[in-house]
Amino acid sequence: MGKIKKKGTSGNAKNYITRSQAVRKLQIPLPDFRRLCIFKGIYPREPRSKKRASKSSTPSTTFYYTKDIQYLLHEPLLEKFRDQKALAKKISKALGRNEVSDAARLERNLTPRIRLDHIIKERYPTFVDALRDMDDALSMLFLFANLPSTENVPPKAVAKCQRLTLEFEHYLIRTHSLRKSFLSIKGIYYQATIQGQDVLWLVPYRFVQRAGTDIDFRIMATFVEFYTTLLSFVNFRLYTSIGLVYPPKLDAKSEESGAELSAFQLENQGNAGQAEVAEALDTEMHSKAQAEADRLLSLPEAEAGTAETGDVQAEALTAGDEPTAVDEPASTTLDQFTSLDPNADTLLQPSLTADVYTASQLFESFTVFLSRETPRHPLEFILRAFGCKRVGWDTSLGEPGAYCSEDDMRITHQIVDRPDIPLPSPPLTDGGLDTDDEDGPAVARKTNERIPGRIYVQPQWVWDSVNAGQLQRADLYAPGATLPPHLSPWVKPKKGGYDPTVPLAEQETAAEAEADSEEDELEADEALEEASDGEEIEGVRGDEEARELEDEVIVDDGMDVELAASDDDEEDDILDTKAGAGIDEWGGFSGDEAGDVDESTREARAHQAELEAEALGHMPQSGKNDAKKQAREAAQSKRTKAEREALEDVERRKLMMPRRKRKMFEKMVYSNAKKDEEAERLRAKKRKIEKQGGKPKAG
Amino acid sequence: MAARLDGKAAIPGQDRRRKFVLELKATSGYKSEAKLELRTMLDRLSSLSMDLKSMHAVLLGFSSPTAFTTKTTASRKKLQLAATAPKLRPGLLDMQVLLARLSTLVDADSEADSCVLVDESIETVAAILRVVLIRDLISGGCRDSISEASKQLRKSSGDTCMETNHTLPGGHTALNWKMAKTVVPQRAGQKRKVVEVAQVEAEEGNGQLEIGALNGEFEGDGEGEDVVSEDDSDEGVDEYDEEDDEEGVEDDDDELASDEIPSSEEGEEDVRQQLRDLKTSNGHSEPAQSLMGSDTAKAVAVIASDTPVKPFVDDDAADMPNYTITTDANGNPRYIYGEIDPVYDSDDSDAAIPGNTIGNIPLSYYDAYPHIGYDINGRCIARPAKGEALDSLLDSIDIPEGWTGLTDPATGKPLELTAEQLETLKKLTRNETPGDGYDPYPDMVEWFTGKGKEEVMPLSGAPEPKRRFVPSMHEHKRVLKMVKAIREGRIKPYRAPTEEDREREEAEHDFATYDVWATEQSRPDHVMNIPAPKLPPPGYEESYHPPPEYLPDDVERQTWEEQDEEDRDRDFLPRDHAALRKVPGYEQFVKEKFERCLDLYLAPRVRRSKLNIDPESLLPKLPDPAELKPFPTTCTTICRGHEGKVRSISIDPSGKWIGSGGDDGTVRVWDILTGRQLWKIKLSKEEAVNVVSWRPGPVETCILVACCGETIYFLLPQNDLCTPETEAKSRDLLDAGYGYAATAPAPAKTSTGATKPSLSSWTRPPTPLQDRGCLLTLTLHTTPKTLAWHRRGDYFSTVSPSATAVSTAIAIHTLSKHQTQHPRLRLRGLAQTTCFHPLKPLFFVATKTKVRIYDLQAQRLEKELLPGAKWISSISLHPQGSNLLVASYDKRLLWHDLELGATPYKVIRHHSKAVRAVAFHMGGLPLLADGSDDGTLHVLHGKVVGDLMVNAAVVPLRVLRGHAVVGSLGVLGVEWHGREAWCVSCGADGTVRVWT
Repeated sequence: MGKIKKKGTSGNAKNYITRSQAVRKLQIPLPDFRRLCIFKGIYPREPRSKKRASKSSTPSTTFYYTKDIQYLLHEPLLEKFRDQKALAKKISKALGRNEVSDAARLERNLTPRIRLDHIIKERYPTFVDALRDMDDALSMLFLFANLPSTENVPPKAVAKCQRLTLEFEHYLIRTHSLRKSFLSIKGIYYQATIQGQDVLWLVPYRFVQRAGTDIDFRIMATFVEFYTTLLSFVNFRLYTSIGLVYPPKLDAKSEESGAELSAFQLENQGNAGQAEVAEALDTEMHSKAQAEADRLLSLPEAEAGTAETGDVQAEALTAGDEPTAVDEPASTTLDQFTSLDPNADTLLQPSLTADVYTASQLFESFTVFLSRETPRHPLEFILRAFGCKRVGWDTSLGEPGAYCSEDDMRITHQIVDRPDIPLPSPPLTDGGLDTDDEDGPAVARKTNERIPGRIYVQPQWVWDSVNAGQLQRADLYAPGATLPPHLSPWVKPKKGGYDPTVPLAEQETAAEAEADSEEDELEADEALEEASDGEEIEGVRGDEEARELEDEVIVDDGMDVELAASDDDEEDDILDTKAGAGIDEWGGFSGDEAGDVDESTREARAHQAELEAEALGHMPQSGKNDAKKQAREAAQSKRTKAEREALEDVERRKLMMPRRKRKMFEKMVYSNAKKDEEAERLRAKKRKIEKQGGKPKAG
Repeated sequence: MAARLDGKAAIPGQDRRRKFVLELKATSGYKSEAKLELRTMLDRLSSLSMDLKSMHAVLLGFSSPTAFTTKTTASRKKLQLAATAPKLRPGLLDMQVLLARLSTLVDADSEADSCVLVDESIETVAAILRVVLIRDLISGGCRDSISEASKQLRKSSGDTCMETNHTLPGGHTALNWKMAKTVVPQRAGQKRKVVEVAQVEAEEGNGQLEIGALNGEFEGDGEGEDVVSEDDSDEGVDEYDEEDDEEGVEDDDDELASDEIPSSEEGEEDVRQQLRDLKTSNGHSEPAQSLMGSDTAKAVAVIASDTPVKPFVDDDAADMPNYTITTDANGNPRYIYGEIDPVYDSDDSDAAIPGNTIGNIPLSYYDAYPHIGYDINGRCIARPAKGEALDSLLDSIDIPEGWTGLTDPATGKPLELTAEQLETLKKLTRNETPGDGYDPYPDMVEWFTGKGKEEVMPLSGAPEPKRRFVPSMHEHKRVLKMVKAIREGRIKPYRAPTEEDREREEAEHDFATYDVWATEQSRPDHVMNIPAPKLPPPGYEESYHPPPEYLPDDVERQTWEEQDEEDRDRDFLPRDHAALRKVPGYEQFVKEKFERCLDLYLAPRVRRSKLNIDPESLLPKLPDPAELKPFPTTCTTICRGHEGKVRSISIDPSGKWIGSGGDDGTVRVWDILTGRQLWKIKLSKEEAVNVVSWRPGPVETCILVACCGETIYFLLPQNDLCTPETEAKSRDLLDAGYGYAATAPAPAKTSTGATKPSLSSWTRPPTPLQDRGCLLTLTLHTTPKTLAWHRRGDYFSTVSPSATAVSTAIAIHTLSKHQTQHPRLRLRGLAQTTCFHPLKPLFFVATKTKVRIYDLQAQRLEKELLPGAKWISSISLHPQGSNLLVASYDKRLLWHDLELGATPYKVIRHHSKAVRAVAFHMGGLPLLADGSDDGTLHVLHGKVVGDLMVNAAVVPLRVLRGHAVVGSLGVLGVEWHGREAWCVSCGADGTVRVWT
């Protein structure tokens, strides 16, 4: 027989200690312990068995890993904390004696400088490790860069955050590492890919942030302190990796006047003496691109959607022809990995959005002007990160750094966020662009009028283009237009989940579709009964279709009742979605029109048949209805039977499962059902919206 | 006046001693350089003399003839006491002896025979003790008679005293004189006073004195002393020749009786000290003893002398008399003392003169007196005005200056403080310097180094070393080094950092100046390192312009708003903004980030593996039930007729009929195809039919066995159910036993020879019952609950699970012999059910938690199964005998492969309530069914393969629902048809159902 093991000497009892035990062991006050934990990235653990870990009978809330705390004992920061405490005592003593100058001197000379370099190295042994953990750091620093300085938030910290974040943005612009961005109600999400690591962060909108009373800024300041150190090292590494000098020179004067990004001067490492202004462009490149832009603008049919230009590299690849899709250079596009077996696991698909190449090309040929009401910084950042080199803005948004003024005729796109901008009044000179270039500013132009020769878009166009990796149709984003929904680029379509980009008919389950059609029919029946007086009743039509009909084809008749509405609906939907999906590829309305024409003729035919039947005096509907109803009931019973059988089968198989497995299975089924329910709810809503949207238009 | 002087004796020991010393000092012989020893001796001497004095006063009291005669009441007492006088004769004699010894002692002293002195002094003390006893006796009422004797005593001792004083050695003469001086006048005063009191004490002082006697050796002295002091105080106020006042005096005495004890203790303590000193006979104590001895003698001598002082006055001229002698009213000499001038320059008198000289006793002791103590001259200090007098005074005048409202505890007068004193007090309470003139930092006075006060002698005589005057070589070298370094610029002189420097430093601190990851080395990930989970990317609903279906409708919005912040599944409500410019700031931004921070460092982290698989893949693959047909799927026949629960069913071996029995006490036979009731018999009115079972067997018979109450009925169904042949065969079979029973050997006898009472009786039922089809009954003394037939149909076993008869719970009956046996099975726990192995002579017995298999031939336990169930309800053996099904009340069905081991091969938990019955298909189909209290039957496919290597496969096939749950009971019995895949069940709802 072995030795009797003593309780509490190994395993959970030894591996975990409570917080108070840890504090006692380190002999520091709790606030210092908190700071230390934040700096060192030490977090509480959840022991597998709380009962075994705690020695006392009272349930302790937090446990730390004993070895974490053990390592803390040798932390050089501990010494600094103690120095700080001693200094605080000295200062308070001096102040108590009314020796203010002594106190000031003590504070000046004796304040221990806390350096976190070793902690950065320790927590992130490699650079990639650091990049992996950048999400929270960036979100936090961007928040602090946008905070007003208060007594809790010293202006110095804010300035430092601003500077670091702008440096980071400069790197992203330089390397075109930004991949996705999303306008949410919380702020703007950005995602960059640096050295293969995806970094996602959130930048708040520029409003005064509301900080409640329950927010402890000391904790946040500790985090910010660590994050600033981290980001400065990351920036250093990033800058040096692309041959730039770090820190970049900051032009204090222009910074004060509000030139955010352009206040920095990036220097190459080789010629440190010669400063390269970040925004200063290669003149040759500039003129070339401008010429290209001008050529495009001068084309008679200036189609915004295809306003893509091949640039120097692209031209070499495409054989002289106008490149239709720039986002498919042979070298960089990614293959789609689709398995033939539908049951196979879904592989991790490579991201569809921009790679480096697309990112650097997307807006390269454009000269963009930002209107007064647009958020300048995000737009400037995103445009430049996606290749646009010439961004101008209204002087009210900050003088320095703007490429051009509003009247500049080189501008290809103007981003506006106003309700609508009237077209220029007739007497305006309709001179060519060339002339405009020369005496553009001289032409008297009414304010708040469109300047011809440029495309007016809303800001969302930029984001949607970026996320799609290709330019979107500008007319959908015209000022005053109802914008298409802005969708998050991170949501992956899941089996059974709701996907707003796909039409309803494609994703709804058979049961739903049937229930839907049933409902439709019922409604139609009711309508028919009501219509016995001969009144005209509003049709039941998909709103999409209706809208487009309205847009494109003027329907000759009034909207009469259609018996086969449901079938039509479904067909319409399919057609519609095809059309909708095709919009981007086809780039025109031809397909749509064709579909619509077919539709209208078929509808007309059906209507005709109906009229004939009515004229004959039959009431075919009723018999038809009964038969239909029976069929429907039969189908329903069949379906329910099948469902029941399936359910029974599952039950039967569940009986033979071990209990643990069965519980797991039930849990999974429950969570799946919840997801399905959510998706179903969304689909139902969508259906409802479609129907509601259809009615008023038809009426 | 004399009374006043006497008052001095009342001053407690301490003061007395001091006064003595003071007087000493006042004498010319007393010098400041007087030896300490002498002083301490004097001290002791004085205290002892005081004690002796008081004792003497008592003695004197009853020997004084003067005032005694004047009082009428006293004379009356005297007459009484005179009668008791003879009794005191021995005491008086003793007294005389004592006095004589005292005088001789003094003589011895003069001869300076120290050895004798020691012995003598001890004897003296003993004598004194005796005197005390005598005094007590006297105080008991015979003082007067003694007084005469004491007078004579005095006369005789007077001469010796004179002599003694003369013979004292020169060094001590002055002291003794002094003592004599102080003692003698007191005597004069006491004479009168004590006499007066003695009259009172004769009646009332008894108890008091007795207490004193009991308390110890010398306490009596203290008492005596106190008596004196009381009387003194009386006299301070009253005129003692007024008889009327005596009552008041008595009162005073009463009151003081208790108060006196503490004051006497001091004296007692002193005396004890003396005693101790006396008993230690070392050299040091010798002079004291000699002194004391002489003193005692002298004191005793003084007692005897009426006018002892005069000759001494003349004797010593240096000692100036402080009094004048006049003649008082009685013609006696009266001493009028002058003011005593205390010389307060000894170390005793450093303290300020107290306003009151009563010493360290509370003022409350004087509460009963008009005065509050005595001044140095022995005069009473009057009590300050109080009460009405003070009020009137206050009325007449304003509050005096310095009035504090306090009373000086020492004097009882109002405590008056001057403004300065008040100011000082105030400052003291505030921790300030006490006065204006107070200098907290006075100039240092250089007592030892100041001018003219230099120390003449240095501490060390060594001359100053040379190194004090010659520069150090090493220091010089070091300085040279530094100079060199400064010249070369290696050491820069300190320059206070300027603001610029500081800023530069800070800027360096702010931005990274080197690459931390210059020499990066990846570290393998540790298991305990749990990186913080990243925040999930935003979904569609977070968009500033989401698709319309993501926007909440009114109901959702309302529920979201009503929810608690913690309960919300997301922390924002999706909102739609038509344009980017309309998007407001997000209010919760800082809070969200803050909470993220808290999560990062406060939230406990744990690794959880998340299964991202299709739940379908978890389900086991089962063969399609369609492939496993046939099995019962639907209920084809329902047999209704029973009232109450149907407890048991059985299918006829031919497979045509169902027999059933239930709570209504009837046994019914049904047609299996139509559900028609073919035959019915009511066996009992009260008791339920617990078991119904057709007899199996190769011979075709038609016997239905039913257990009702304690009786087992063997029934032959009527109504032409069976053919005449089978009926005849059945009758023969049942009757065969009678013959056997008749020829059977006599029942076993017990050891005593008496016949054992038979536990069972096989009888022929009464004719009416026979007519209705019951041919045989078997009565047990317990109620059988289950019945199991052997395959051959000759044996059957019953189980009556009752705790009272454990040994007879299981019975095996032989039908052909009408015989009942109770096998001796050592079961632990109640037997539940049994069954026979179809092929081997094995017998399965299920107790509550175990199944035991017995070999009936070898009569031993073959195996024990541990199903792990808490309460087994029924068991069923596979027709091949290799597998056993165990149903339990704890919802489980357990499959035992008998070849595998004691634990079940498979546990199936698929019922929500207790499983009551289980049955294998006996006709070769791989089917089994169980019925449960949840009202369902489960039909399972259980294929047993002959191959040992292949485990039995169990596939659930069908859940048969139909039985209603009545009183939380559902299906009570399940039975399979012999050949077809038909299943019959009975339930608590009173139906029998056939499932095909």
